[in-house]
Amino acid sequence: MGTLDYVWMGIQAVFQGPELFSIFGVSISVTLIMILGGFLTGIAVGATPGLAGPIAMAIALPILISVFGYTPDALLPVMGFLIGVMKGATIGGAVPAILFNTPGTPDAYMTTLDGYPMTKRGKAAKALRVAHFSSASGDTFSDIVLIVCAPFLALLVEAYLDLPEKTALLILSLSFIAAAIGGSPAKGLLSTGLGLLIAFVGTGEDFYPRLSLGSPMLNQGFPIATSVLGVLIIGAVFKEMETLWRQRQSRDIASDIRIEGDQRLHWADIRRLLPYVGRSAVIGTAIGALPGIGSTLAATLGYTVGRSRHARTKTEGRPDFGEGAPEGIAATEAANSSVSGANLIPVLSLGIPGNAAAVFLILAAESIGGFNPGPSVFRFTADTVNPELVIAFGLFTAMMIANLLNWTIGGVFMRSMGVMVRIPKHILLPAVLLLTLTAIYVQETRMEAIWFALGFGVLGYFMRVLAISPLPFVIAFILGGNLEESARQAFAATGGDPWFLFTSPIAALFMLASVGVIVFTARKTKERS
Amino acid sequence: MTGFLKTGLAAIGMAVMATGAFAADWTPPGPIKLMIAFKAGGGADTQARLIAEELEAKMGWKFIPEQVTGKGGLNMAAALKDQPNDGTAIGMAVTETFGYNMAAANAGFTPEDFTGLTTTAGFQMGVVALSSKGWTSFDDMIAAAKGGEDIRFGVMSPKLADLAYLLGQAHGVEFNIVSVKGGKGVMNGVNAGDLDVGFMAGIQAKGVAAGDLVNLASALSEPLVQTPEAPTFADLGVEYNADGYFVFVGPAGMPDDARLALSQAITDIVSDDTSKAGGLIAKAFGGASTISGDNLTALMAGDYANAGQLMAAASE
Repeated sequence: MGTLDYVWMGIQAVFQGPELFSIFGVSISVTLIMILGGFLTGIAVGATPGLAGPIAMAIALPILISVFGYTPDALLPVMGFLIGVMKGATIGGAVPAILFNTPGTPDAYMTTLDGYPMTKRGKAAKALRVAHFSSASGDTFSDIVLIVCAPFLALLVEAYLDLPEKTALLILSLSFIAAAIGGSPAKGLLSTGLGLLIAFVGTGEDFYPRLSLGSPMLNQGFPIATSVLGVLIIGAVFKEMETLWRQRQSRDIASDIRIEGDQRLHWADIRRLLPYVGRSAVIGTAIGALPGIGSTLAATLGYTVGRSRHARTKTEGRPDFGEGAPEGIAATEAANSSVSGANLIPVLSLGIPGNAAAVFLILAAESIGGFNPGPSVFRFTADTVNPELVIAFGLFTAMMIANLLNWTIGGVFMRSMGVMVRIPKHILLPAVLLLTLTAIYVQETRMEAIWFALGFGVLGYFMRVLAISPLPFVIAFILGGNLEESARQAFAATGGDPWFLFTSPIAALFMLASVGVIVFTARKTKERS
Repeated sequence: MTGFLKTGLAAIGMAVMATGAFAADWTPPGPIKLMIAFKAGGGADTQARLIAEELEAKMGWKFIPEQVTGKGGLNMAAALKDQPNDGTAIGMAVTETFGYNMAAANAGFTPEDFTGLTTTAGFQMGVVALSSKGWTSFDDMIAAAKGGEDIRFGVMSPKLADLAYLLGQAHGVEFNIVSVKGGKGVMNGVNAGDLDVGFMAGIQAKGVAAGDLVNLASALSEPLVQTPEAPTFADLGVEYNADGYFVFVGPAGMPDDARLALSQAITDIVSDDTSKAGGLIAKAFGGASTISGDNLTALMAGDYANAGQLMAAASE
């Protein structure tokens, strides 16, 4: 059994799996249909504010398992569907970000910065084309890297990062985000600190629910959906509603957002975007390969790198980043889309999920059985067939099929989303609010979740009023649990060494950089003012 | 084999009781709220949801699953305690919740505030390491520790942390005991090389079968089904063990007919390997293990009463 034999068997597993129906004697395997179904669902879900890929995956998984059962035959159809949703949602997520200034997922937040101004200038369709092109490019690039590097790269990365280094890396990410987003490091740190504070409510290892103020409602802490969707989406809806109300007050009726001028993506545009797409794809892929660091950081980094390049090279008269530059969309979308493929490197070779989508893929594998993501997957056995490796190559095939769909019908679907601009805001905003609250309730099924979400919505509203970016808050909230956990673990694993963050050179370097990035940015901000 | 016998005995027991007729007549007065003490999407959550789904199909009862996670199941217990006890609110946790965790937290309630319905499956709790570490037996690990190697021992609850400490103490070594979330967390850590060894309660089955992982010891009073030759904790000089089960409970004072009907219905489903829930349990835990009625009440009370001894032993 050589490597190529395995590749071929993986491809066959997808195309010659259980037959669903046949057209003119050509049998269509159920896996192919599931990938298509997942992909279309993913775009629709991603393009719907308040819904996101992981939510669709979470709801779909129990249904799919009950349809396909617990046999190894079920692995490729179920995981193919989930991969389809993941890919579809990645490109779909940019649609609400560009059209409604409400990111469906946290990683699409940066897309709003240039996408929405373009929509306001009547260039919504072009913005969507830029997003699709960059997203699909980044995604495909990332998948190729995954397929080529999975067995080697993840093992290499994991070999150099022990628990103390992982903790230091999380601290570095938070400090970088605080410094890089939100205008000033002080506001960024404020937002980050608030996010960490909220993340620490009710959690921790002690049996007493800390910071819960004795209220049973807070015993479980704040569910991730309520804070993320609350601050990012409900907060934005509230702010939009205020704007709408003010416009009514001043009798300045909001005109429909129009689509005018040339909306096509020309070869010249593509040539101008390519350097941004390429840089961001590399950044996103590199970040995706590190377990636990998600697409949000990739989007931020890609955007930041793109912005500094744009500031150097831009010609007179073209919009800046943040004012509707297509390059901004390209830098963000290529970066966050290229995370998803590389994220599966640690998933497949080590069994460690790097983001929510990966969690559901692992869950599918474990519930169904017959595929045990971990080092055993990439064991190229010579004399016997390693069925897990066949599944792994089957999954790679599924990803490439999803990419093919992405390049073809994905663009058409996204462009058709342009009509959603015409939906009037006074109908759209309550609908978004309802959809978001429904999504949260679907996930949390208790009334407190709704109150939390509305509370976080108010917080998000005031953060916007005070020009504090809600993004560091959300990222800190998501990483807060990991940070505490890995810090506790690193402390315990080093036998209770209080200096665990400084004893290894890599960890010490990360810590130095964490302080450095804040000091450096603060000085720069001071000089500017 | 023991699990099989237990299942068989329990099934016979339930069948005999079922002829008491009154259980069969019971129908819940409304939809049943099912409080799950585990994170959505985990193995235990999936098990609970599948059981609910199949009860809906089979019995025509309506379930509303709900996550009440955190604090080793105590958040769920606190929420369940004050629910109506007519069978319209039940919860799923592990026996450890009502034993060690409840005793350690001193949260103002005891197992007497709950009605035990039935267990579904016993833990296959092993002390597990990567095969590639080169340890083929428990003694190999102790030898490595005595040779000066720092051993990182992954645990997923305070009770298991105590047990790991006592295990080290019994052999004159000190492990670096690392607390992680769930058996999945331990397995991920061991696979990634962040942990050298750790407790896994059944999740290791596939890895052990594939030869990637090795059960060095059974943390139970009995040998592991999968690796019967691995020594038990008693063999290794630790007088406590990690015996435990997934368990369904209701609030205190549940009427007998409701208790019997619920526990019987759950037992029937998990004992049936062809059902989805039963299939899942067979795969991870080597078959169902159902303890219900007075036996379960006694088990929960015993775990709670004995928790203090383990804590005292570990804090010496």
